[in-house]
This record gives sequence, structure tokens and C-alpha cells, in this order.
Amino acid sequence: MAKLADGRALPGKLFIVEGIDGSGKSTQLDMLRKWLLGQGFCVAFSEWNSSPIVYKTTKRGKKKRLLTPTSFSLIHAADFADRMDRQMLPALKAGAIVLADRYVYTAFARDVARGVHPEWVRSVYSFAIEPTLAFYFRVSLDEALERILSGRPSLKYYEAGMDLGLSDDPYTSYRIFQEKILEEYEKMTSEFDLEVIDASLPLLEQQALVQDVVQNHLGDALRTEPRAWRQVLTSEGLIGHYLEKDVLREGEP
Amino acid sequence: MTELKFYGHGLPGIMKKQLPGKLIVLEGTDGVGRSTQIALLREWLESEGYAVAATGFKRGKLAGKGIKSAMLGHTLSDTTMNLFYITDFADRLEQEIIPALRASFVVLLDRYLFSIIARAQVRGADPTWLRDIFGFALVPDSVFYLQADLANLVPRVLNARGFSYWESGVDILPGRDYYDSYVEYQTRLLAQFDSIADEFGMIRVDANQSIHHVFQAIQKQISQTIADMKPAKRSKKKSEIKQQGKESKSKAKKVKKHQ
Repeated sequence: MAKLADGRALPGKLFIVEGIDGSGKSTQLDMLRKWLLGQGFCVAFSEWNSSPIVYKTTKRGKKKRLLTPTSFSLIHAADFADRMDRQMLPALKAGAIVLADRYVYTAFARDVARGVHPEWVRSVYSFAIEPTLAFYFRVSLDEALERILSGRPSLKYYEAGMDLGLSDDPYTSYRIFQEKILEEYEKMTSEFDLEVIDASLPLLEQQALVQDVVQNHLGDALRTEPRAWRQVLTSEGLIGHYLEKDVLREGEP
Repeated sequence: MTELKFYGHGLPGIMKKQLPGKLIVLEGTDGVGRSTQIALLREWLESEGYAVAATGFKRGKLAGKGIKSAMLGHTLSDTTMNLFYITDFADRLEQEIIPALRASFVVLLDRYLFSIIARAQVRGADPTWLRDIFGFALVPDSVFYLQADLANLVPRVLNARGFSYWESGVDILPGRDYYDSYVEYQTRLLAQFDSIADEFGMIRVDANQSIHHVFQAIQKQISQTIADMKPAKRSKKKSEIKQQGKESKSKAKKVKKHQ
């Protein structure tokens, strides 16, 4: 059951995924989304650091390297608050399922790794909705780094934790930074009762585990008739090539 | 010296215990004359040989632009807007205020976290949440609360730039005209300021008085705050300044008697 910060229950269900870069959480969330849509559930989606209004400021701060650990934390909280109020809360009030790629635990892990006080960042996010289930995709540092760094991507300044002055080499810095983040995640598994998934398992095995847990929490979540428009097309003899595009974009499997 | 004292956990990455500058804050609602007083104080302090930095809200490099555009669109929810303001506050604190204090500046601030708290509480934000977040904020050397009655504020606001959307609280008081909203909103805001002033030990200054009297009242207090600082250059007319100081003190006393 998703709950508001004041303890009131929301009719919808909020499932979130967490883990370090390269843990495969986004892939798993995408698979879960398709599975839920396939069963006719209404599913809304929200991704970390994507508020259309706040994101511009974050981007600016990153590009110009204006962010300190404190302002980095606060601007991401502003982004989160905007997405919570516009994307997550309305859908949850309507009884729908909301899937979030990263949640407050990302801030708790990453911002604390940057040096902000653990209690402080928890109080910043005290307005957050309590999720129905929070999955943590546990992966070893080496495996995650191999997945991310095998293609030798160019790492961004903050992404690599270069602001911490850990190393002049972005790859070395990234490794140390990810290690600190991983430590914070591990501390949180019991603090927040995270649902741990072994992210070294094959994709489909992980997904089966996720679905098993989610299944028990779906209850009376809002459903729609996903292919109602197809019946109209068939009976009216229409092709529906405009319709199909739009509906697909909204997330038909 | 400014003792490096924070309201809570403080800022990560600051090692020093003291900063050689002074942090002086002027708080109060719209139209109370904060910026006029800051301009006067700045000139006075500079003529005394102090290095002065003055800054205000929404002027941060990071979030200033974003807040301004969000204010134009009236699109962000209360929590988001509060966090946006707090981000701007943190940015200015770390990037402008603390470096200036480290470099021995007297920093004159047009509003501090108290305005953000007052504004947020009028809109129903959780007081504990706000105080927890501001745990990273530096405790100023002195905070002046410029306090004026609504009846005195209205003509000042009208003469300056008129009633604005945000300062009239139209976002939370829909369906009224700007004047009615302004009166209602500012009444609520003044009530918040009043309790916050006590909570944080602000120095109350009666801003119903003339600009000159307000200036002298603040000047007197600041003289004490900066007493342990050495100005960069001693003014030649030391005796004259002393004389002026005495005059302003006696005037301030007279003002008190009149009240």
C-alpha cells in the first residue's frame, strides 16, 4: 500500500526500483511495466531527475559545475517534489499503479556518498510518499562497473563524482564513488525494508522474482480495457493507423 | 569574526571554525524598505573602510533563472517551489556568502531563510520540515526585522511597483482582487514573521518611522556587531565620525522616548 507522508493510505500502488548504475534496474522496471500493461492495469511512470521545469536548472548546474553537495541534493529534491505532485500523486489517488525508476533512496545513497548528513537528507525528503514496494537490485561493484565501463563511455563530471576530488582520473573517481554509493544502499536494505533482488541472475529469472512479489500487492489496482479501440476498428472496418501510433506511444505492449 | 554556527548539521566540506567577516541580515515583508536600508548601510560601511558585499533572493547563479521562470508560469507546486527557493539559498550561501565572509567582508543580506520560512508557512508547509532542512544554514551575526503596519506598507508598494501576483498571495487566495488578496496575504505573512522573529531572536526595528530613523536604529546596532573588526582603511575624519555616531545615538534615544 502506498502511503502519504502523514500516514494516510492511497488507493494506488507505487513500485520503485533502486540500485547502482549497471544493476539492470531500469530494464527490469521496463519488463514489469509491459507485464502489468498486458494484464490491463493502468500504469504511470516516473523517472529520477526528469521534471520538465526543474531539470533545466539541474542541467545548468551540472554543465557549469555550480552544484555543491547541498545544492545538488536540494535541486534533486525539488525535481522529485514536482514529479511527485504532478505524475505520481494524481495517478495514485486515482488508484493506478505507478512505477518509479529510482526514488528517495537514490538521494540517500548518492548525497550521503557526497558528504551530506544522512539525517538531513532523510528530513529533506520527509514529504515523500511511502512506496508499496521498493526493489533493490544488488550487484557486485565489479560486475556493475564492467557493464557500464566496458564500452569506455565518457563519464560526466558529477556522474563520476569528480566534485568530490577523489581522483583526477574519471574512471578511478567513478569506481570509488560507486563503491561509496553501494555501501549506503547496503545499509538501507534493513532500514527501509528493501526487497532485495540478486541482479547477477539471468534477466528473466530476476523478472520472475519481481513479478512474484508484485503479484501479491496488486489487489484492486485500476484497470482499463487495453484494446477497446481494436474492437471499434474491426466492427467499423477501419485500419486505425493514426490511432495505433498514439496508443502505442502511451505505452501499449 | 563570525562563529561558524549552523542551525543544524551544517554544510559538508567546511573545516574552519570561524570566518573573519560579518553576516548581517535585513528581514521584513514587501515594501518595508529593506533594499533602501541596505543601500544606505552599504554606503556608510564602505565610507568607514569596510569591504561590503550585498546580495538578495533569486540572484543565485544556479537557480535564480529557474525560479524566475517558474514564477512567471505559476506552475510549480508548493513543495517544489519551497525546495527551489532553498536550493537558491544554499547556492548563494556556499558560492557567495561564505566566500565573502572568509574574505573579511561585511555581508548585507536582503532577506535570509526567515522569509522563505514565513512564505512557506503561510502556504501550509510543515514547520519542522522547514527547520530541519535549514540545518545547513549559517547563523547570522545579526538579523534585523523591519516591522511596519499594513497601513504604511500599502502606499509604499503602490508607489514602487504595485501589487504583484506572489506578494499578494493570489496563488493561495484565488477569486479576490489583488488589493483584497494583498491585505489578507500580508496580514497572514506579518503574523508568521512576528512569531519567527521571536523564535530566532531577531532585532525588531520599527519601520513605521522615517527612513532616516530606521537607518540610525540599524546603524547603532551594526556598530556594535562590527566593533571587533578592523576596517581596511581608517577614515581621516575619525573625530567627525565619532561625533556623528553620538548624534545618531541621541536621536535614536529621542525616537524611543517619542514612542
